[in-house]
Amino acid sequence: MKISWNWLSEYVDLDKFGTGAEAPRALAQLLTARGLEVEGIERQDQGLEKVITAKILERAPHPQADRLSLCKVSIDGKSSIEVVCGAQNMKAGDVVALAQVGAKLPNGLKIETSKIRGVISNGMLCSEAELKLSEESKGIIVLPSSTALGRPLAEILNRTDTIFEIKLTPNRADCLSHFGIAREVASAIGQKLKLPQIQEVAFTGSPISTTLEGGEDGLQFLGAYLEAVKIGPSPAWLKDRLESIGLRSINNVVDATNFLLMELGQPVHAYDASRLDGKSLAIRRAKPGEKLPLLDGTEIALAGTELVIADAKKAVALAGVMGGGNSEVRDTTTQVFLEVAEFSPTLVRKAAKAHQKNTDASHRFERGVNPEGQSFALFRLIELVTKVAGGKVVGATRARHGSREKFVKSEVVFATDFIQNFLGLDLDVPRIESILKGLECEVKKSGTLLRVTPPSYRLDLNIPEDFAEEIARVVGYDEIPATIPTLSTAPTIHTPEYTQGALIERAKDVLVQIGLHEMLQYAFTSEPWLREFDAALGAVRVLNPISEDQSVLVPTLLPGLIWHAIGNLNRNFGSESVSLRWFELRPTFHLRGDLKIEATSETETGIQEKLRLACLLSGPRVDSSLRSEAGKVDFYDLKALFESFFEKLGTRGIRMRALTATDEGSTRWYHPGQAIEVWAGKERVGVFGRLHPGLEKKFKLRQELWVGELDWAPIAVLSAESLSAKKFKPWSAWPSIERDFALNVKGDIESEKIVQSAIKAGRPLAQVVKVFDIYKGSQVAQGMTSVAVRVIFGSEDRSLQEAEADQASTQILNAWKKELGIELRT
Amino acid sequence: MSLDLKSKLESLTEQTLKEIESAASSETLEQLRISVLGKKGSVSEILRGLGSASPQERPLIGAAANTAKEQIELALHARKAFFDHADIEKNLARERIDVTAPARKIYLGGLHPVTTTIRRIAAILGRIGFDIATGPEAETEFMNFEAVNVPKDHPARDMQDTFFLGPGVVLRTHTSPVQMRAMRARLGRGPVRILCPGAVYRVDSDATHSPMFHQIEGLWIDRGVKMSDLKGVLQYLARELFGSSTRIRLRPSYFPFVEPGAEVDVSCFKCGGKDSDRHSDARCPVCKGTGWLEILGSGMVHPRLFEMAGFKAGEATGFAFGMGVERIAMVLHDISDLRVFFEGDARFLRQF
Repeated sequence: MKISWNWLSEYVDLDKFGTGAEAPRALAQLLTARGLEVEGIERQDQGLEKVITAKILERAPHPQADRLSLCKVSIDGKSSIEVVCGAQNMKAGDVVALAQVGAKLPNGLKIETSKIRGVISNGMLCSEAELKLSEESKGIIVLPSSTALGRPLAEILNRTDTIFEIKLTPNRADCLSHFGIAREVASAIGQKLKLPQIQEVAFTGSPISTTLEGGEDGLQFLGAYLEAVKIGPSPAWLKDRLESIGLRSINNVVDATNFLLMELGQPVHAYDASRLDGKSLAIRRAKPGEKLPLLDGTEIALAGTELVIADAKKAVALAGVMGGGNSEVRDTTTQVFLEVAEFSPTLVRKAAKAHQKNTDASHRFERGVNPEGQSFALFRLIELVTKVAGGKVVGATRARHGSREKFVKSEVVFATDFIQNFLGLDLDVPRIESILKGLECEVKKSGTLLRVTPPSYRLDLNIPEDFAEEIARVVGYDEIPATIPTLSTAPTIHTPEYTQGALIERAKDVLVQIGLHEMLQYAFTSEPWLREFDAALGAVRVLNPISEDQSVLVPTLLPGLIWHAIGNLNRNFGSESVSLRWFELRPTFHLRGDLKIEATSETETGIQEKLRLACLLSGPRVDSSLRSEAGKVDFYDLKALFESFFEKLGTRGIRMRALTATDEGSTRWYHPGQAIEVWAGKERVGVFGRLHPGLEKKFKLRQELWVGELDWAPIAVLSAESLSAKKFKPWSAWPSIERDFALNVKGDIESEKIVQSAIKAGRPLAQVVKVFDIYKGSQVAQGMTSVAVRVIFGSEDRSLQEAEADQASTQILNAWKKELGIELRT
Repeated sequence: MSLDLKSKLESLTEQTLKEIESAASSETLEQLRISVLGKKGSVSEILRGLGSASPQERPLIGAAANTAKEQIELALHARKAFFDHADIEKNLARERIDVTAPARKIYLGGLHPVTTTIRRIAAILGRIGFDIATGPEAETEFMNFEAVNVPKDHPARDMQDTFFLGPGVVLRTHTSPVQMRAMRARLGRGPVRILCPGAVYRVDSDATHSPMFHQIEGLWIDRGVKMSDLKGVLQYLARELFGSSTRIRLRPSYFPFVEPGAEVDVSCFKCGGKDSDRHSDARCPVCKGTGWLEILGSGMVHPRLFEMAGFKAGEATGFAFGMGVERIAMVLHDISDLRVFFEGDARFLRQF
């Protein structure tokens, strides 16, 4: 909201803030400290500081340039300086605007002594455009010849105002006007508030009466009927006021209504009374389908929920939002009906939203107008209209809801020590009383209680805490001391999320140790992108997305990581492959079972959020610039990543096996021969492996992507125990015996099966079984693989005998032969 | 006889020492050792004649034999050490590498600055008793608004432009619904001391606004909590986060969930507020010459929230505050564009 210093000073003496450039800043500081945040200060004379009036004594052609003139100008009528000027519209004797050396004009131009085509110019004669006084202009400014010389141009043009941009919070409806701000300032600096002049009239004799047909929807409808009004341009003072805060002047009557809105914060409206049908205007609900042409030239179809002002035949205004085009004041209007009313804030808000007409009026009605301010506003409006457009009052009328006939603002009661205890600020009761009285509250002290009634315009003061804020605001938030709260002995209850959160943070740490970077993506993605992965079905849609690219919530993290991988690869113009090592651990969004997305209780949304962990690896295995070391990440790097992760996190009972089903859901994203599915108990929690070559090709990827995504919740369950503390496991003090086996393995028997078979058969002595070499090639028969297995036998409580190891080895060999048909290589 | 043996030993020693001295390689030394000190070596052979010596002479000869052995061993050892040293020296030269060639770097991972900033704040406030609480990002309109005193059709709704997912379902616009969930979980009793970090969503997108960003909100509820406690906690937080000389400034403001409400400014940690002239050309890049950074909203928990959470009236009071995580991360890490946090550019991620 824009507030003018000059306008403000009509209601409160601002001399206390001093003069000059510091005064507006001092006022701004005060307002900000009271909760009315000043976001900007704009002085109208900004850039005009060194522009003064001067008289051209002589004009001569420039000796070197036809289009330029050489002017002798004087700021005192005697001494003179030479200025080169390119305009043609001036002559000797004219009073012009001279930008002196050192001036910095609003368009950014700095004026210096300069040589123009061999002649020194000591300043510049300005045009309106150069001073940003108008959009464009022809020639330089020529002022009336009677203009005093050597005066600041800003003063001559009456551009001495300062405009404040104030960011008001929605609770301070009382400050949405110059008078409201003045009231706040007056109270702050202890000045008397000057009331605007009014013309009181009796509520009688109006040819048009007003009625309330909406119960509490329309609470008050006051009006006055004026005749012999003469529509025309507004006087300069009125135009200046409105233009200073960015409003356009329309005509004297409309300007008067706009002025009143900005003066008192009460929106009002003027009708051409001759265009109204019947003898009364009503506040009523619209009829469904009813059409209403508005002042802005649009026509709206009413839904029936809106409030309108209606005459006998038609709606003539969207109540509290905008007047109708069918009753608008025109140049020929002579009979004017003035409306001052109060409407339900909710209905005004809904109507303004529904029809997308956010107006200065709706903004104020939504926040609430002073329920006791309507008569004063009407009297003020009559004063203004008759002052600027003549005419005389025929009569006035008033309809008020019962609650407004006698408005009672309820009393708020609190203990005398409440404020002090609540703020932690030392304040005695008399001080509290005097502050509240300074804010026009009625205060009664009875025993240890204070009974406070706020003024009618303070709709935001309803509970004791509201008054605590008022006191703190007036005293200054700076006065509140800084203390540290007492840590009470009552225990804090750890929520399940708390434990869950700690595990997540630990998981992130482990992933960082493994050498991954944490990625954070938008929770939004695009449906076409999800369709590339067949993942769009059942994704949660945003009903009002910013763009189609961000119209669904992620049901899975991998497509996003892949998207970013593609982006990074495309940004790489070098010859080296790009190292991408990422993880992301965050919620994904899903429909909860068959539920629709709908709030079915206070907390149920129909959406289920599942935490997922996704990883992506790609590029060189080793970060080295030497070509001889340039191995690329492969499946076993990815597998190591997940194994290390589970090991370090202390996750128990995770099983991994070759991908079996490759036709359902996300399994289709993976290379069927280079992927593993991860199982937690009876649940498959995810897959990792190489991105399917089909997708690689589709996305034109220049390097393989190794990716994986897991559900977090089952992993968290299996890892929960390790959060408290890992338990120490002592190792055997006895020597162990190592045996290596070279096996001839037929076909595609997985090494994990060989290991598992040995572990089972070698129990309890086979402590470690591992594959340490796999070979296919010329040294082994076609279709066969040579697998080297090392078994370490040992015991927890004794030194093992060779014979025992031999016996266990035999058991293992038998098992291999029986279960897998594997024999020793000969 | 005995003298004979002794002199034999002595001349063998003398002879062997000479040979050791002139040996050309460690292999020659080894052969020498075997031929002189081995089981079938010269010393053993000489000592075989010991049987003919008198009992008085035997210890003397034995001692002489030991001396001879020791001398020879010492000499062998010294000469061996010489050869070893020479070998190593020779290899050293051969094993020379170009130490200025590029290193094989170790991949070091890193957390996203949003995470590190949340952790930083959580660690500071954790020290004075705050816990972490989290909640869903898709919320009911009720929990996001009504429950925290933003009624339907109230102008305060305009303060946060909301993404809708379905009837009554929104993406949370702040983490305040987590506060309400936590208050309700405490069954209408205090104390509640929680921090709620997490993603929030608003319909807004430019260099300083992102449709998704992160907040961390704090809530402290107990008997007798005062507004001065809020100020103290924020003062502590600001000093720990931005440096011990940091000052804070509370300004009256309005947030529906608190009363009184306050905007909190922190003195600029870069210029300390010395540079606080908006119009100066050389204004501070961090605070834009205002001397202050607006980073927090705060206030005393509105009684309506206690009512909504099932607390008995007057049972407890509390304070709450909230801040934008990215805003703080931007200030701490000199990041000027909010969008870079979520663009997934490896060049960004690698820096943290």
